[in-house]
Amino acid sequence: MSNAIIPLLLDSLASAALIFFAAVGLTLVFSVLRVLNVAHGSLYSIGGYVAASVCLFITSRQLNPYLSFAALLFSAVFVAAIFGPLIERSLVRWTYGKSEAVQILITFGLFLMLEDLQRMIFGVQSFYEDTPMRLLGTMTIGGVVYLNYQILLIGMALLVVIGLRLLINHTRLGRLITAVVTDREMAQSIGIDTNRIFILAFSLGVFLAALGGALATPTSGIAPGLGADTMVLAFAVAAIGGLGQIEGAAVASLIVGVARVLAIYLVPSLDAVAPYAAMLVVLLIRPYGLFGSVTARRI
Amino acid sequence: MAFKSISTVVARCLSSLERSLGLDRSVPQANLRLVADGLAGALAIGLVATTPVAAQEKPSSLGLGVFTFTSGPAAAYGMPGKNAADLMIDEINAKGGIEGVPVKATYVDEAQGAQGVIAEYRRLAGDAQNQVMIAALSSATCLALAPLAEQLEVPTVGWNCDTHQLLIDGKSKYVFRPNGNTVPEFIAYAIYLLERKPDVKTVAIINPDYAFGHDAAKIFTAALKALKPDVEIVAELYPKLGSPNYQTEISRLTTAHPDVVFSNFWGADLENFVRQATPRGLFTSSQVVLALGETVLQRVPLPDGVIVGVLGDGWWMSPDAKVNQETVKFAEAYKARFGEYPVFPAIKMANTLIYVKAAYKAAMQKNGGKWPSRADLADAMKGSTVATLTGTVRTRADNDGLVDQIVGVTVKTPTQQFPVIGDMVRYKGDSLMPQGGQDPLAWISTLKPEFSKSLPKPGSYK
Repeated sequence: MSNAIIPLLLDSLASAALIFFAAVGLTLVFSVLRVLNVAHGSLYSIGGYVAASVCLFITSRQLNPYLSFAALLFSAVFVAAIFGPLIERSLVRWTYGKSEAVQILITFGLFLMLEDLQRMIFGVQSFYEDTPMRLLGTMTIGGVVYLNYQILLIGMALLVVIGLRLLINHTRLGRLITAVVTDREMAQSIGIDTNRIFILAFSLGVFLAALGGALATPTSGIAPGLGADTMVLAFAVAAIGGLGQIEGAAVASLIVGVARVLAIYLVPSLDAVAPYAAMLVVLLIRPYGLFGSVTARRI
Repeated sequence: MAFKSISTVVARCLSSLERSLGLDRSVPQANLRLVADGLAGALAIGLVATTPVAAQEKPSSLGLGVFTFTSGPAAAYGMPGKNAADLMIDEINAKGGIEGVPVKATYVDEAQGAQGVIAEYRRLAGDAQNQVMIAALSSATCLALAPLAEQLEVPTVGWNCDTHQLLIDGKSKYVFRPNGNTVPEFIAYAIYLLERKPDVKTVAIINPDYAFGHDAAKIFTAALKALKPDVEIVAELYPKLGSPNYQTEISRLTTAHPDVVFSNFWGADLENFVRQATPRGLFTSSQVVLALGETVLQRVPLPDGVIVGVLGDGWWMSPDAKVNQETVKFAEAYKARFGEYPVFPAIKMANTLIYVKAAYKAAMQKNGGKWPSRADLADAMKGSTVATLTGTVRTRADNDGLVDQIVGVTVKTPTQQFPVIGDMVRYKGDSLMPQGGQDPLAWISTLKPEFSKSLPKPGSYK
């Protein structure tokens, strides 16, 4: 087993990076809008489908293959620009201040519609486009061949954590978001356009979801059903980290990644339950998640 | 017609009631569910008995309920089946239908889960024009529908239904499987592997986490242990069906350093696994066995030397298929219509429809030219021998099929842009099957290393 320690560590980080991308958008949207977006998983898979389609277009037209890296980012921006404002203005804004049950029902309805939309547009066959992964090649670590793209994903996840923290703490938009999160009514009373903040924050959440799907595409297949699986995992991560906590999502992704990888290496039959067992343990000890805290309900 | 409508409505109402109550055998309402099942069965039987199903006049059309996956990750396997059914039915109808009666298929998506599939089956069975069910792809669906088929007395032909548990009690009257099952399918791989790589010491298994994956692992392992007792299983992984990412599993398999990696992944799972494992060197560090590998030959660039097969004899390019003009015509028509050649699930479906057509012919001959009832049709299937597109299927007394097994390795050929199967062997269907009623695993454990000596060798099927 000792010869498996390095692979175990690397696999945990690579797995955590993918999980983090799936969860961070969900937690960001909750922190600002106080809306649990059940359709988040669908936006993740739409990001994957769009990225795979654009990369396939680049390949089929024999364009410079390195454009596929830009295509991953472009796809996430494209999905966020289309779906972010559209969903927030048409559906999500009606749920502000409503009970969690209403929010969940509305976003669940949206989830079902988006899942069918994907089937209509992309069909039921699996999508796979691995040009970015092939361009980066492989390296052997601890006797195991790894994709350099996996290492890139770990770095990208770190960049996103740092980038989001910089955005929140050191930009005007971040300060406005913080003000809205802290006290929505007070922010409105001092002239902050909360509607604009909500659109921007929701679109940023959609961007992160779509980016997660796009970045996962070169090493994973995209098929109907991916949205639901992603959603469940993202909820588990958000619950472990504390809903609305970005660093919490990062740490929770690492916990879930390590739990999954340890299960696959040591007790493969527990692979599927490992993330939820980790969630159970954390919530038993800290019911509001690792980084969450009790907040008084305002009347 | 009124009776037909009533029976359909009743079956629908009961199905809806059952669904709305959320009844399931695994929950405490199981007794209520059994009552609903019983009521539905009794009513359907009673009503169907008084409808034209028992009459001997030819109906205006022959309805077939065809169960397959048309959505979700399993659609990668299920859609070729549906495509083949569409094509075959069009061809049958172009020639005047089955015994002069045009065929009309109603497709049911198995992705909706057992409850929905059961409800659909009951609804279709309530319509007297639906005389036969082609059901199903998934072993889980087949096991769920089998008791219903017996209860409603509807001939139900498993076009895939790999699980050996389906007909294990040998008492089925209305459920047929004109295919192989997990026992001959996976023993064939163990024998081929040991013939090709006799020095194998360590094996790792990665199969999907449901009955088909676990059954296959059990049978393959039991056969390996019986034929070469010193083989060690160094890793057994069962990722969730439909997993998009296998990177961690690939690392785990690599660290186990197995001589052989065996998998019965299929559909999108298989494609994803191959695409992810290839750049990470798994296909060069270990001999890989992909039991359903033929299904991805046209879609994924599999390297040379991977052991693949077709779970049965349904390869459209096998020596037997190539000399059969019907098969060549079918393969070209399939390619022209759907853009790729028929993978083995498509051939399985086509062979199943040929089997049903042959059963009608035999039943009408026995009936003196009169249209057969459902019971007549089931009688005609029992013990039948039918020539298919790729060989012959014999139906045993326990309704299980005897079909040859083709296994080989991937090789390149100048005639195709994708790898094909070479160095093939074709094992006789009955040589790898226990007798009816015999416990398959107990039978496998009695096999000796000498067992394979009497069987054909890799490369012998040309």
